[in-house]
Amino acid sequence: MSAATAPPVRRPAGARVSARALGEGGIGRFLLRRLGLAVPTLLGVTAVVYATVALVPGDPVSVFLGPGAPAEARAALAERLGLDEPLPVRYLTWLGHAATGDLGVSVAGQRPVTELLAPALGQTLLLTGAAFVLVLVAGVLLGAAGATRPESPLGRLCGALSTLSISAPQYSVALLLIAVFAVKLRWFPAGGTHSAFGAGGPGDLLSHLVLPAVAAALVPLGLTARVFRAALASVLAGELADALRARGLGRLAVWRHCAHNASPALLTIAGLQLAYLLEGVVFVETLFAWPGLGRLLYDALAARDLPLVQGGVLVVAVAFVGINILVDTAHAWIDPRVRG
Amino acid sequence: MAVPVLDPPLDRPVPAVTPRRRPVRWPGAALAVPAALAVLLLVVATAAPLLAPHGAADGSLTGRLLGPGAPGHPLGTDGQGRDLLSRLLLGARPSLVGGLLPVLAATVLGTALGIAAGLGGRATEQALLRSLDVLYAFPGILLAIAVATVLTPGLTATVLSLSVVLTPAVTRVAHTEVRRIRAAEYLEAARVSGAGRGAVAVRQVLPVVAPVVLAYASSLVGLAVVYAAGLSFLGLGVAPPAPEWGAMLDELRPALLTRPELAVLPALAILAVSVVFNALGEALRRRVGVREELR
Repeated sequence: MSAATAPPVRRPAGARVSARALGEGGIGRFLLRRLGLAVPTLLGVTAVVYATVALVPGDPVSVFLGPGAPAEARAALAERLGLDEPLPVRYLTWLGHAATGDLGVSVAGQRPVTELLAPALGQTLLLTGAAFVLVLVAGVLLGAAGATRPESPLGRLCGALSTLSISAPQYSVALLLIAVFAVKLRWFPAGGTHSAFGAGGPGDLLSHLVLPAVAAALVPLGLTARVFRAALASVLAGELADALRARGLGRLAVWRHCAHNASPALLTIAGLQLAYLLEGVVFVETLFAWPGLGRLLYDALAARDLPLVQGGVLVVAVAFVGINILVDTAHAWIDPRVRG
Repeated sequence: MAVPVLDPPLDRPVPAVTPRRRPVRWPGAALAVPAALAVLLLVVATAAPLLAPHGAADGSLTGRLLGPGAPGHPLGTDGQGRDLLSRLLLGARPSLVGGLLPVLAATVLGTALGIAAGLGGRATEQALLRSLDVLYAFPGILLAIAVATVLTPGLTATVLSLSVVLTPAVTRVAHTEVRRIRAAEYLEAARVSGAGRGAVAVRQVLPVVAPVVLAYASSLVGLAVVYAAGLSFLGLGVAPPAPEWGAMLDELRPALLTRPELAVLPALAILAVSVVFNALGEALRRRVGVREELR
């Protein structure tokens, strides 16, 4: 059925449903539409980020000149800083600069914000990448073990483990890991990316990566396990599994087919967890002295370095929106029902 | 997104009439145990000034960083010689308030917004949902950080910023529930018999939406406690010297390498509260029959 001959159907509101309204659209159209929907969201995001800084109490002119400065000097500085313009105009100016990669100058570091953000982003991606591998592997194992025999002691244990994992705040886990594995047992270093002395190299980096990756991974891991377990259990209890068993397939073969059918749910939840990892790094990086975005943000907050806070929040929010689009697109690619 | 959104299963039947009270079912252990522990936590937080052996600010220069089991200090002392057991007990109140109040505010506001979006016509619905999408574009703690930066550090900053983070999630849950029932015949019947919009919203829609929203909101408390302590840890929430678990976490950090058993105490307190409230939320959600959605 082509889109032209399709009868007009009134769709309920909601982006997920309206994606179905595409009819037999290709994956490219789906992606384009999703990108189109992201534009107003991103504009809103920049407005919120800008407003948070514009609303911070305190007047920059008084900070620079002191409270007793003559009115002419105040007016001149306000004009030079662009503060005499109305707020919407200032926002548009800032937006124009941000769009060309100019996020202002860090107050504390006296360097362009983008120069500080770029290397930090790389370190954060390394940490979140390592944590994501853990989320996938352990989440799938825990979820699969829980779904295969939900009422057995093992199944219950897996359920309890994922609940515990979901409830474990990153900073608590990070502190406990440092206390046990770095201070008491001395198996892993307590922080940083490389040892000050010693061979260095990938092995050194890896040993520095273990504890922060575990601390960052626990909550997303638990959520992934829980969702995959629920999806797999419902497929295993459904007609598909009955039909496969009726055809004489072995347990393992039935399980394999069912796991395949539960994989879109796994993909969606795991993708969302990739975005969630970006949130946990604020605490994990701070506690493990990992020189990434989260640590940068923590230092910027402590120093009240607002342009840097603004830039960091903006970068993470844009990455967050981007990951969500990628996840939705991948979902539509695997499961054509989502796109129509 | 850290705040999970729950959608009711679509195959749940639309009630044909306003639901009547169901007979009371006794809760199983999965609900009773976390509920009892949560009540115990609230009692301890309320009675903390009576239970704490020392004052929150009673320091001593000679008794700094004493290990657990030191005479008079069962859990030891912090870097300023203040009794840790007392500070943990006294810190329970701001820590729990920082988690509970935002959930309460978000529940009330989110339910109102969700019902308004569901019943208010297409333009209102779209305007509300699209504005919420913007807030959804931030990872939860980052939005809280962005809002809290604007405010003076303190419990008020925590409550306000977390309310902003949690309200969109509650609104979505309430809205989904309203959308499910808004074409039901009993709403039409109420309108035909002359009930105004407000009366339909409060007397017909709210009783259906409330259990689902409350079950969902209860599952947010653990998360909110974790976020609240996190904000204090970052110096945006309750500030030292007030006893609060997140702030204590930051204060004890320098002792992590020398006295790890002291530094992990506030971390363990937050973890315990988070587990209790998450288990409670999960049990309540199962009982009301709300399944967890992906987002």
